[in-house]
Amino acid sequence: MHAVRKGDVAKLGILFERYHRPLFDFLARMTGNTAVAEDLVQDVFVRVLKYRATWRDEGRFETWLFRIARNARADYFKSRSLDEPIDEAAGHASHAPLAIETLARDREVARLQRALMLLREDKRELIVLARYRGMKLDAIADLLGVEVGTVKVRMHRAVKDLRDIFLRLNESPSWNTRNSVGSFPTA
Amino acid sequence: MEHEKLGRLLPDGVEQREADELDATWRMLGAIDAPAPDSERMRARLDAVIDAVEQTQAPARPREVRTYVLQGLAAAAVLVIGISIGWYARPGGSAFGGTRPPSDTSSVSEIAAMRSEMHDLREMVSLSLMQQQSASERIKGVTWTGQLDRPSGEIVTALLDALMHDPNVNVRLATIDALERFASRDDVRRGTIDAVQRQASPLVQIALIDFMVKTNERESVATLRQLAMDPQVNDAVRARAAWGLQQLG
Repeated sequence: MHAVRKGDVAKLGILFERYHRPLFDFLARMTGNTAVAEDLVQDVFVRVLKYRATWRDEGRFETWLFRIARNARADYFKSRSLDEPIDEAAGHASHAPLAIETLARDREVARLQRALMLLREDKRELIVLARYRGMKLDAIADLLGVEVGTVKVRMHRAVKDLRDIFLRLNESPSWNTRNSVGSFPTA
Repeated sequence: MEHEKLGRLLPDGVEQREADELDATWRMLGAIDAPAPDSERMRARLDAVIDAVEQTQAPARPREVRTYVLQGLAAAAVLVIGISIGWYARPGGSAFGGTRPPSDTSSVSEIAAMRSEMHDLREMVSLSLMQQQSASERIKGVTWTGQLDRPSGEIVTALLDALMHDPNVNVRLATIDALERFASRDDVRRGTIDAVQRQASPLVQIALIDFMVKTNERESVATLRQLAMDPQVNDAVRARAAWGLQQLG
């Protein structure tokens, strides 16, 4: 990043190779749409170029990068119409319908994935960062600009809400976003 | 991806029973598939951005200056030569406005010489652009070859070289389009069949398979069969190779 900040923009390719997968994973799990996630990853790296002079090497680069990713996602949802359908809970598991239909375990996982997409965005973000990105509490606290204790309390609520939605989906498969806890991403 | 145990992420005071239930949900989250990015396509898009930024921020390097000067001179020369040809070609015309017509033989030979000069200039510009550092300039060079009536072997060799060795996927894809008009040449047929095996990029491999089908290149059948059966080859490429074999009968 030092080289990129000094104007060697070709070095951005190295950063891309190192970070595009975790960024894509985070954004795909947050949006439920891989095409949107790819566009957003592109947007993140364009923003890295644009704001490279603002990076201070005393902070963690990954935290700075994910902060940009959060902003890119928020801007995306601000700019799109609220009526526009989102390729939401169907997500990745929907690409394997046969497995879901035949295996009870896969059905449960698909339901959990749907529950995750129905979870309020800020709660989903906490779970994605900790569970899928393996971020430590202090890194999440740094990213969100809150205390570690606050992250713990929010994490508890997030996982609890996720479990509630998951159980309600088990009781009533037709249960949908209109009954959900919170609303789908409005950023 | 290594993740924290849920217990470490929760505040103190959560009852054991609840913590166990939440932990079961937490563990089940690990069963959700990880989405897979199309890294190559994303990288190609990023490279285009990097090229654009480099072009706008870099001070004009001597090599680039030479290219722009070359392009400008070539355009001016083509214009002058074109006008001259027009003057010579019109009945009773001469190159510099005189009224005395040149003899038929000298007129024809001068027109031929000018056309040859114009052709050489275009070739020179194409080759020069294809040597540039910027991928977009190289694509421009590849596209320029489409303006040449009878490109020399040097141009075809440069296109084949770009197909095999250019680091940018978009440039390699552009050369495949440009090579289509030379599909009947032996060196192009051999070169493209060779390239489809060596390419690291599935995008380029698929474009080459389409090229084989479009040009009805039956000599590629053995290569396509090899690709279709090789488990190490990208799934999309294998599927396209199988489709190509069907098309070629």
